[in-house]
Parts: sequence; structure tokens; C-alpha cells
Amino acid sequence: MSKLRAEHFWLFLFLAIIGLIPACRTAPIKVAPPPADRHLPYEYVGRKAMVVAAHPLAVEAGLKILKAGGNAIDAAVATACALNVVEPFASGIGGGGFMIIYLARENKVTVINFRDKAPSAFYPEIFTEKGEEAPVWRTVKGTAVGVPGALAGWDLALRRYGTKRLAEVMQPAIDLAEKGFKVSETFSSINKEEYEKILANAGEKTVYLNNGLPYEPGDEFRNPELARTLRLIAQKGIDVFYKGELASKIVRAVREKEGLMTLEDLASYRAVEVEPLRGQYRGTEIFTIPPPGSGLHLLQLLNIASFWPVSQWGLNSARYLHHLTEAMRLVFADREAYLGDPDYVQVPVEKLLSPDSARLKANLIRSDRVLMEYLPEEIKEHTEAGNTTHLCVIDDRGNAVALTQSINLFFGSGIIPEGTGFILNNQLDDFASTSSGPNAPGPNRRPASSMAPLFLFQEGKLKLILGSPGGTRIFPSLAEIIINIIDFGLSLDEAIEAPRFFSYSQHGRIRPLSLEPRFPEAIIKELEALGHKITIREPYDRYFGGAQGILIDYKRGLILGGADSRRDGFGRGY
Amino acid sequence: MQGKKALSISLIFIFWLFISAQSNLPKFSSPALITSAGQNAEVQMVAVLAKRAGIEHNLNKLATAQDLAGFKSLLLVLGASMKGLGAAGLDLNKEMERVRGLLKGAEEKNIPILCLHLGGEERRGAQSDEFIKACLPAARMVIVVKSGNKDGLFTRLCQEKGIPLIEIERTTEALEPLKNAFAQ
Repeated sequence: MSKLRAEHFWLFLFLAIIGLIPACRTAPIKVAPPPADRHLPYEYVGRKAMVVAAHPLAVEAGLKILKAGGNAIDAAVATACALNVVEPFASGIGGGGFMIIYLARENKVTVINFRDKAPSAFYPEIFTEKGEEAPVWRTVKGTAVGVPGALAGWDLALRRYGTKRLAEVMQPAIDLAEKGFKVSETFSSINKEEYEKILANAGEKTVYLNNGLPYEPGDEFRNPELARTLRLIAQKGIDVFYKGELASKIVRAVREKEGLMTLEDLASYRAVEVEPLRGQYRGTEIFTIPPPGSGLHLLQLLNIASFWPVSQWGLNSARYLHHLTEAMRLVFADREAYLGDPDYVQVPVEKLLSPDSARLKANLIRSDRVLMEYLPEEIKEHTEAGNTTHLCVIDDRGNAVALTQSINLFFGSGIIPEGTGFILNNQLDDFASTSSGPNAPGPNRRPASSMAPLFLFQEGKLKLILGSPGGTRIFPSLAEIIINIIDFGLSLDEAIEAPRFFSYSQHGRIRPLSLEPRFPEAIIKELEALGHKITIREPYDRYFGGAQGILIDYKRGLILGGADSRRDGFGRGY
Repeated sequence: MQGKKALSISLIFIFWLFISAQSNLPKFSSPALITSAGQNAEVQMVAVLAKRAGIEHNLNKLATAQDLAGFKSLLLVLGASMKGLGAAGLDLNKEMERVRGLLKGAEEKNIPILCLHLGGEERRGAQSDEFIKACLPAARMVIVVKSGNKDGLFTRLCQEKGIPLIEIERTTEALEPLKNAFAQ
């Protein structure tokens, strides 16, 4: 009898477990489709993993690798490589960047610095000696081209933290380059904007023009030359780029345009793994990239903002805009004074991130008017370009990557090594316009960068993965997004799509406050009354970048993606 | 049978309308001075199209009234670009001053103006519209990429002044009207 009861018990238990399984399985995610107006805030939803990047096809490339068992690092490199194909004007193997990696099991954050470097023959006066012609030599001549770091960085990340080979993760990009895709409005409009440069350096027959004219939205774009180049790298490894036939083509193309790069410069390039920079903001912990990136200045801005009751002032209030704008101007003065390649200059990171430094700046800012003078330091002109690209990945093991990469200005230098289909950067334009100072041009140096991909941790758990392109607007925009989320309680994509503002100081003097015109007219008038000269931009202006983010909602068990409609931002999770 | 005849007559009539419309369009002579109103990137495309159309021309992004000497036509490419203005070291006011001077110079020298707007919807907005409104009344003919005229601004301004307006779908389609405009 007791045996029978025992059998019934086990049978009942078995049936109960079987019965519970469907209930325990993750319910399918019900999500509304993206709104027709792409500027309306919209969050992509996943439960296990997600990729967010500046183009849907690049997102698909990353997802393909994740679903094939790859981790976040594999998927990030696949996405980065696919971006070279579908968003070739912003980044690629002809450029460089930074990648911040979170390894969930080890609870470790690390940074891969694959920023481009100056050739060994570079010298401080290389641009100043050109006088009024300097802007040309900084942007479209061979002297603008830094030794590209992207492939070395991707390769290093994969070897140390990936699970797949470079050849495997490059395959989706190769397929895209071969099969082609339809050109978006963003692609077309940037292609038109940069037409003169492309025409001058790549000629009417280049793949980046359609019969000698810019591509129109909906046109088919294929890049068989880039497909061949990527396949060659997949077959032979990155040495073919740094020491082999591609190296020769790069050097020839750069030197034909009066650049100084040599085969030795390419052969000696190394991406490096470095410690992340850490900071706090209102009880959260932020990990970002150290110099020569601008994580330092992002943290400075947040440190200053932490002295103010921002949420009481109100979202988009004149008081908030005024104070953060003034903080930007002070931080930019520091940036000019101190930021450079830490291999060659000492950047006083600790001092600049100290509470005293932030308090001093917060106290300096007046609520009734703008400061007319900021720390008087030399500063280079802030260019218009929105450039660069950013992607975020999280995998089903909790590993994450925030990767920002660039060829600097849109379509970089416009120089394309013969038959390769990829565009070389003009990253050396990021050196200061002076021949002295921490960011002066110099041999083998990495120029200062505004890139600042980041992780934000809350109560010890990864909460936010974030980054943006946008030149000097990058770290101010990231600070605005973080404040929008933490202080104003906006959702991730609301925070990304919210109207942006930006200013800086130059030669210690005030510069205009650039605004998207979605701020109320009364606020703009109030800011003018405080002494800000206002420059009105487009309602969703690429000038302010194209941020991508992933937010982990532990309570609901969801992964939420936010992608910027200022570019072709897109996300997908599962 | 009658249907076929009617169709043929209709086609001939449409063809005649097309021909007469073409012949009624104003004619321009080369050499042409090409410049933008707003420092946009499309000015470079117009220079390439002019070359393909066999139009003798000179591209001068910062042309002023003095530069009109020796030219028989002015091709004005409309639309403001903050990037372009920044690169040229100009602000909107200075650029508008240059453009107004050019319009006045063209009027004084009796040089016909052909306005082109090739940037589509993206090259519209308050700043671009200022240049469009300032220049269009002085144009002898206007070529516009359709998506830039979604709100009918070009249609309205051209109708008010009786200016022929040619709408095209894509930038490359500007080639034929340019060829026709300069055909002798």
C-alpha cells in the first residue's frame, strides 16, 4: 500500500513538473511595431540578447552570430564589420575606435583602444606650417590619414574574449558587400554632402558614387571591391592588411596624396587593452574609456551636474540648459588644456575627476548670466561633421560590448586604396591646431578623441550600455541622455530622442549654444536673456550624433534597445 | 478602330503640347556662372551636370556681383547647409547679403537666372526657405527635385510670378532640362 502511495506521489510530482514547464517558459514578447514617424520614441525589446546599431542590416549581422552561439564580443565585431559595408561613410577598416567590454562571469570591465595613430614621421608643425591651407591638409590630404586600428582592435578583442574566429564574424559583412542593399535617406544625404570630397579624391568612377553622382534613396549599392578585400583578410588574417598587399596599397594611396605613412607604420601598429575609467553619478557607477577618449570629460560633466537639483529644475527648463551648457564650456576648456595621448602626455585624470574640481566649477557657474570667460586655452575649431558610429551588444550570458568606431569626418579623407573599396580615415584632424600642447601632432601619437562608450551599473548590476557618434558633441550628448534617464525618469529612447543642446568654449571665450528647435520658444528667449547666443539646428540634427543604447530592466526581465532616429539607428533582441 | 484613331490623335496632341511647352521655356546662353544660395553641396552636382550637358561654366562658391562680368547666365543652386556655411566661414546673414548682391547684379546686367533645388525634402526648412523665397522671384526658370516641393512652395512661388517650373524625380534628371535650356 505504502509502495503504491509512493508511486502515486512520484507520478503526481512528475505530472506536476511537466504541467508547470509551459507556465515557466518565457512568454513570447508582444511588442508594437515601430511607429511610422521614426522620431517617435520606441524601444526594441528582448529577453536574452540584443544588438543595437546604426543600420538594420548591421544589427542582423550581429544577431546572426549571437544565434550561432557567439558571445557579445563576437557579435560586436560582426556588427562593426557589417557597418563598414552598410554605413561605409562613418567607420570601417580604414579607421579606428574604442570598445568597452563587460564579462559577466568574471564581473570584469575592460577596454580595447584601437584608436588610429600618427605615422612615425609626423611632427608638431605639420599642419601649422601650411598656414591657411591647414584645413585641407588636416582633412583631405594624405597627412590626414592615421594608421588604421579597427582590424587590430577587432582581432585583439576576439582573441582575448571572443569565441569565434575573425573569418567567421566577417562573413555576414562579406555577404552584404556582395549582395548589396538599398540606400537609405541618411546614406544618400551624407553622400550628397560629401560629394565634392569624394569626387576630388576617389573620382567619378568610384563605387561610392552612382555613375559619378551621389546615390539617391532606394538605389541599389553593392561594393564588390570591399567584398574581395574582406574575403582576403578572412582568408589570410590581419597581417595582409598590416604587412601584406593591402598595406602596400594603403601606403601608396596615402603617399600619392602627400601623406607620410610608411609600411613600417602599418606593421608596427598595435591595439591595446587598458583599464576602464570609473566614476559615479547619483548612486550609479559608470565605466567608460580613459584618455585619449573623452570618458573623462563625460564624467566631469556628470560630476558637476551632481551638485545641482536637476530634476527639480525640470526637463528642458532654461535653468537646466543654462547650467549644463556652462558646465560644457568649462569642461571643454579643461579638455583643451589636458587631453592627449597618455603614452606621451600626463593627463591629470584624478584631479579633474575629484569632487573639489567639480564643486569649483559648479560654484563658478552663475544662474543669472553666462560667464564671459572660461579657462583660456588653445582650442581647435569644432567641425560640423556628425561622423563616427556606435553599437551595443548584450548576449544571453550577460556579457556586453559598447563599441564606438570612426573614420572621423563622413567619408573620412575620401582616399580609397586602389581596388580595395574601403575609405581611409582623416583622424589626424583630431590633433590640436597648434604645434604645442597635450594634443599637438607628434610621431606615433593617438589624437584626442571625443568618443566615450560606457556602461552604467546600478546596485552592482549592469543597467545601461550607451555610446554615440557626433564629434565633439559625443560626451555632452551622452551626459544629457544619462541625466534624462536618471534625473528626469525618461525611458531610454525618450532620453535619446529628447531635444539636444551643445556648446563649448574657444580660446577661453564663449561659443554659441546650438539647439534643436524642439525646445519651447519661451525657453530659447530665456536663454538669450541669460547671454547665450543661440544657433538653431534641424529638429533631429545629425550634428548631435546618433546614440545607441541598451537598458536592462531587471524587474520586468526585459532588455530594451534605444536607437537614434537622427541616423538609421535600429535594434533587435530575442 | 475608332478607339485606336482617338488614341493616336491624343498622343499626337500630347506630343505637340510637350514640344510647345519645351519651346516656350526660356533659353539661356553660356558661359554660365554657377554658385549656391546657402553653400549647399548640390552646387557641385550642378557643375558636373553642366559639364555633361556641354555648358561652358565656372563654379564659384563665393561669387559676388563683380564676378558676373563675362557671364551670360547665372545658375543658382538653392538650399542652406550649416556645414557648407561653416566651411566657407559664413553665417546665414552674410550669405544672404552675398546672394542679394548677386541677384541685384544679375538684374542690373540683365543676366537670366536659372534656379535649381536638388536637395529634396532634406534641403528644406526655415533656413533653406529663406534663400528659396529670396531667389525664386528673380528666376527665369526653376528646376526642382519633386520631394523638395511636397508642400507646393515652389509651385506657389512660380505661379505667382509666371515662372516655368520643371519637376524632376532625381538629381540626374536635371541633365535634360539643363541641356534643353542651353540648346541654341
